[in-house]
Amino acid sequence: MVEAVQVQLKKGVLELCVLALLSQHDSYAYEIASRLAEGIDMGEGTIYPLMRRMQGDGLVDTYLVESPAGPPRKYYKLTEAGVESFSAQKAEWAAFSRAVEAILGDAA
Amino acid sequence: MNRQAFIDRLRLGLSGLPPKAIAEAVADYETHFTEGLAAGRTEEEVAEALGDPARLARELRAETGLKRWEEERNPTSAAGAIFAVLGLGAIDILILLPILMTVAGTLFGLIVAAIAIFVGGGVVFAAGPFLNPPGGAAVALLGGIGLMAAAASLGAILTLCVIGLVNALVWYGRLHYRLLKPAMEPKS
Repeated sequence: MVEAVQVQLKKGVLELCVLALLSQHDSYAYEIASRLAEGIDMGEGTIYPLMRRMQGDGLVDTYLVESPAGPPRKYYKLTEAGVESFSAQKAEWAAFSRAVEAILGDAA
Repeated sequence: MNRQAFIDRLRLGLSGLPPKAIAEAVADYETHFTEGLAAGRTEEEVAEALGDPARLARELRAETGLKRWEEERNPTSAAGAIFAVLGLGAIDILILLPILMTVAGTLFGLIVAAIAIFVGGGVVFAAGPFLNPPGGAAVALLGGIGLMAAAASLGAILTLCVIGLVNALVWYGRLHYRLLKPAMEPKS
């Protein structure tokens, strides 16, 4: 039960986390996946369908940068719509987590 | 599972998609392996961390199907979107299916009826004037045109209904895909 709740929670905030990482600096999929994997313990492969969808939704854009590790890396950066979506989702998340905190606090 | 096995299973899962989409997806994961190896991990470790390639293929396939429906509204892309959503294995679709079948069945019946009325109108229009109808040939001509026009507008309304239905399905599929289906397999 606890595990199922965790998976659903993580899935819901995944896009928000990616937006947050990209709002700090542009990044490539492997780096985003590693950051998220160590932070919230998710399957790294999930990042690719997610990035493709976010690109399709116009939240992120890509450009290529030469890499020392092999072929050029595809870097992702937030578009204007992505920046807007991030601040909206962040505010939503903050309000939501405050509400949950308040209820949990009452119950403790 | 090593790199080759992972990529093979991914390709298998993606087969049938446009070659360009497959190539892009495969390139993404190949890059991931390259980066992982450069960072000192083994192929098995990278594959393990990536998760089940069949599951990832289903997600990518669903995303491609939904996008195509949004870009081009035609029967092929509608069917693609629906099958992609089904492919995600949304169990609730089983609950939804009887309702869906009823709605789809009714729509289909109405579409057949619209076509029949159209054909009937055509017959009245073409054959009516020669059969000495009550009220004269002009009534048959106008009546025929009227029937065909009614059928055409019924058809247009039905088309809108079908588009709405597929949109609702896509919305439902996306909801699942984004929030409910645990696509991230927790590492055991």
